[in-house]
Formats: sequence, C-alpha cells, structure tokens
Amino acid sequence: MSHVGSGKAASSKEQTGLRYPSNGKTIYHRPLNRTKTAELSQAAFAYLFSEMVIYAQRRVAGIQELEKRLNLQGHPIGLKLLDLLLLREPPRSQTRPLTIIALLHFIKINVWTHLFGRQADRLEKSSNPDTPDEYMIVDNEPLVNAYISVPREMSQLNCAAFVAGIIEGVCDGAMFPARVTAHTVGGKEEGEMWPGKTVFLVKFQPEVLEREALLGKG
Amino acid sequence: MASSKASRLGEEVWKTRMDKVNAELVVLTYGTIVAQLCKDFDSDYIEVNKQLDKMGYNIGLRLIDDYLAKSNTMRRCSNFRETAEMIARVGFKIFLNITPTVTNWTSDGKQFSLIFDENPFADFVELPDDGRAQDELWYSNILCGVLRGALEMVQMQVEAHFVSDVLRGNDTTEMRITLIRYIDDELPPEDD
Amino acid sequence: MVVYSFYIFDRHTECIYSKSWLSPAPTSSSSTTTTTTPSGPTSDTHPPLPSSTTTAAPTAAAGTTGRRSAPTTSASSAADNDAKLIFGTVFSLRNMVRKLGGEDDAFVSYRTAHYKLHYYETASNLRLVMLTDTATLSMRNVLHQIYINLWVEYVVKNPLSPVEHKGGAGVRNELFELGLEQFIRGLM
Repeated sequence: MSHVGSGKAASSKEQTGLRYPSNGKTIYHRPLNRTKTAELSQAAFAYLFSEMVIYAQRRVAGIQELEKRLNLQGHPIGLKLLDLLLLREPPRSQTRPLTIIALLHFIKINVWTHLFGRQADRLEKSSNPDTPDEYMIVDNEPLVNAYISVPREMSQLNCAAFVAGIIEGVCDGAMFPARVTAHTVGGKEEGEMWPGKTVFLVKFQPEVLEREALLGKG
Repeated sequence: MASSKASRLGEEVWKTRMDKVNAELVVLTYGTIVAQLCKDFDSDYIEVNKQLDKMGYNIGLRLIDDYLAKSNTMRRCSNFRETAEMIARVGFKIFLNITPTVTNWTSDGKQFSLIFDENPFADFVELPDDGRAQDELWYSNILCGVLRGALEMVQMQVEAHFVSDVLRGNDTTEMRITLIRYIDDELPPEDD
Repeated sequence: MVVYSFYIFDRHTECIYSKSWLSPAPTSSSSTTTTTTPSGPTSDTHPPLPSSTTTAAPTAAAGTTGRRSAPTTSASSAADNDAKLIFGTVFSLRNMVRKLGGEDDAFVSYRTAHYKLHYYETASNLRLVMLTDTATLSMRNVLHQIYINLWVEYVVKNPLSPVEHKGGAGVRNELFELGLEQFIRGLM
C-alpha cells in the first residue's frame, strides 16, 4: 500500500511516500490492458519456476510441504488474476461469478486461456455422493510441468501445485473458499496418451455448498 | 555491421524458435518469488538482493546452453564488445523480448552499461513503502545473477550490478557490467 | 552407420554421461594406449545396456580394452578409466589443434582402423564424444542436434536436475535417455 506522492517527487523527496521518476509516470499511469497480449519466452517462465521449486525444496522437509509451499506461492497470483480478468471482461459479463459452476467455468476458460493460451481440458463434478463438494479440472499437459522429469524418489511430487494455488486464490477471492490440490493421473496404464495428465481437485468448504443450496431455492 | 546482424538474429530466433507464454504469468511468478524472499528474510533487502543474485546465477548457468542452442552459435565472441552486443541484441531479445541499449564503455573496454527502457519484470510493480525498500532493494537483481552465471560458463568472470532503477524513482534502469578476467580451461586431473 | 558409444564431458573435465551400444571389433594386439570403447554388453545386437560410469554396472562383460586386469567388479572402473583416457586424448588433441591452427580452429574427428571418434565442443565447454564405425562421415551435425534437442531440452531445462553434474547426477533422466536412444536408433 502506498499513497501516491506528488507527480514530481524526484525533486521533493518527502519523508513518507515513494519516489517516482521525474517524468512522473507511476504504474497507475499505465493502461492495464497494455500487456494483455504481451508475450515472453516460455523458457523465461521455465527457469523462474524451476528456481522457485529449487528454492522451496531447500527450505522444506518433504514432498507434502513442498507442494504446500508452491500452493501458497500461487495463491496471491490467483487473487490478483481474478480482479484483473474480471476487469478486462466486456461490461456485461463483468460481474463476478455467483455460482460454483459459473466460477469453475470462469477458471476453466478465462483463467486458463489467459495463463496458458488454451482452455482446460475438462471440468467434472465428483460422482461420489459422499463428496458433493468436489470438482475436478483436468489438464492433459500442464505447462508448468513441461520440462520436469520427476526422479523416482519423488514420484508423488507434482509441481502443478503452483497452479493449484492459483486456482485456490481465484476461488478464495471470489468468496468461494476451497482447497485445491493437484494430482497426477497420467501414467503408464491404459496406453496413456497424456502421461502428464493432471487433475486439480477443488474441494469447496461446506458453507459454500450451503449457500449454493440456499440461493438455488431463493 | 555486426550489431545489426545480431539484431536480425535475435528477432528471427524470437519469432520462430521460441515458445511463448503470456507475459503476465511470468511477471506474476517473478513477483511472487520476490515477495516470498522478502517474507523469508524478514524484509532484509540486502539479503534479498543477494538471494536474487544467487538464483539468477543458477539460472544463468542453465540458460547459457539454451541460448547457445537457440542462437546456433558455434563459436565464442572474439572480444568483450561483441559479447555485449550479443547479450543485448540476442540474449535479452530471445528470452525477454527487449533490447537494452549498450552504452558508457570505459576506455579500456572492460566495463559497459545496459540501459533498459522497458523492464517486463517491473510491470505493475511498486516497491513497499516502508522507507527502506526504495533505498535497498534492487527488484530485478535476478538479471545480474543471470548474466554473471551465463558469462562464467563461457569463461568470462564478470561483475554486474544495478546502478539505477525506475522503481526506485530514478529516471532509467541501468545495469553496470565489468569484466574481471577471462577464465582458463580446466585441465584434467593428472594421472599417476 | 553404426554407433558404438557416446560420452559427455563437462567443463570440469569429468565424464558425466556415457552410453554404449556395441563394442567395436575386438582390437588385435595393436591397440595402443588410445582407447577403444569400454566394456559394454557383448556383441549381442539388442538390447543395449548403457554402461554407466557412475553406478556399478551390472554388466560384467569382460573388457576388450587395452587394460588387462578386469576382474568383474572393476568393470565399471575400467569403463571409468576408458572415459578418462578418451578425455585425455581428446583434450590434448584439441589443445594441439588450437595451438597449431589458431584459436578458431577445432578438432573434429580422428579415425583408426576400427573406429572413428567424433568430437564436438560447445561454447559452454560441454564436450560430446561419439565413437562410430569407420565408414561414417561427419557426425558434427548429429552431435549438435543432440546438444540442442536433447541436452538443452531434457537436462538443462529440468529444474529437478542439479546445475553441476558431479558424477553424472541429473543427466541420466528418463526423457533424455529415451530421446537419445530413439535418435541414435533412427540413425543406425
């Protein structure tokens, strides 16, 4: 949080407040949509992400913790993305999603397209009657795992926990608190076409379902 | 002139041989890395700078092979000036789609500056207003580490640091790079 | 074209990867101190087993190298020594070439009666060495392709592999091995 100093703050350095360059351009002058379609190399992302994973790996004791850390790091991104993407929508669809399905569609389509250039592959509701609060977003080939070849000792690790964190951030930001985890389902069985297939399991908190049921009735 | 050839190479590799992703994903990821470091080190920005440099160094060690492969460079640059041109016009171009300007050469040709008129990492970024961040944190310090690591793999030992940053209220973002020495080949261990 | 074996040496002059498909025809006594391939699986055609220099190779095939000793437990150390010998040779040749031909000149390959050794060094001091039969023409392009399509993609870009591959750590991952195998098989 900063309060915006005077535009020509370079000369008058106030005690509090940030300094800005002498042309007075702050980030608030930049149009938000300027970088909407900007592109960087995938390699840049891959290297940054790998450093992030390695850095986290040094500070944690086990795979669970590592995934949790990655999840935590994705969370603020999700929060910001929710606002940003909603803002960029055309005015009539600019309301934030009010039902679970609308939210999940928003994630599957808007968030995924923005981040990865394509929609997520499938969206499913859990068919298990014991867990009606679980939904699954399926991605056949998560971008973040593109270069990762998990060594055998760590075969439960899925670095898409980072993306799970982003999803969780979006859900939490939209006031649908949830826990999101990433699971690798692609494997050597079934003559798998997508060995890296990952399922993001979205488990909403009970109050979300209560609210949904209430709204449905009302 | 060799520099325009470098520009054309950079442009061509960027257009044809690099897979691309949405810039905002990268920018947001970098932001979360810096934020995490600030949290882990309790806002000790000097330490955060060091960590960013170290992370960049590790990236640079890998990135150099990627750069050499993508730019199909078969041979080393013949002098430091050529190195600087290649870094600015090809290196930064193919990874970050920017072309910083190479200026401020010292007379012995061992130091130069890179001026960034746009820094993609700093989009949407404002440093925290705690009175210290703007004086101590170099937000894009990872880039210094990247250059240091990458050049070390081609046997140049360099030192790189930022001297000004738009996020700090300066007018430009400038990095200063100094060649310390050329590193000799390692010899195999002597057999009995 | 038959590929006998393949080595990668890093800039610390250590062998970080080696793989053999076949040993060349056993050299008659004229084998000098220049090396032949390390003991790999005996001349069965398939399946090849990579002879690892990092872990003790289960393949205990007796070496046909110039070294005589080879009790089975030292099969892997024999392979180690071969890698070292290969590197020593290659390194000396490369230095000599540079001294005689100037900095820009590069050692490319040498040929003996039984095999041809191809050498490719990247600007980042990664050295790739490949031994093939004598009829093969230049493999420089092949080595370059291995570098950019396999090494960079599967080793360099893999975040879970360390940056310095001491003792070969991080190189021997599935994608790299698979890709290399397919690539070489496609050539043979």
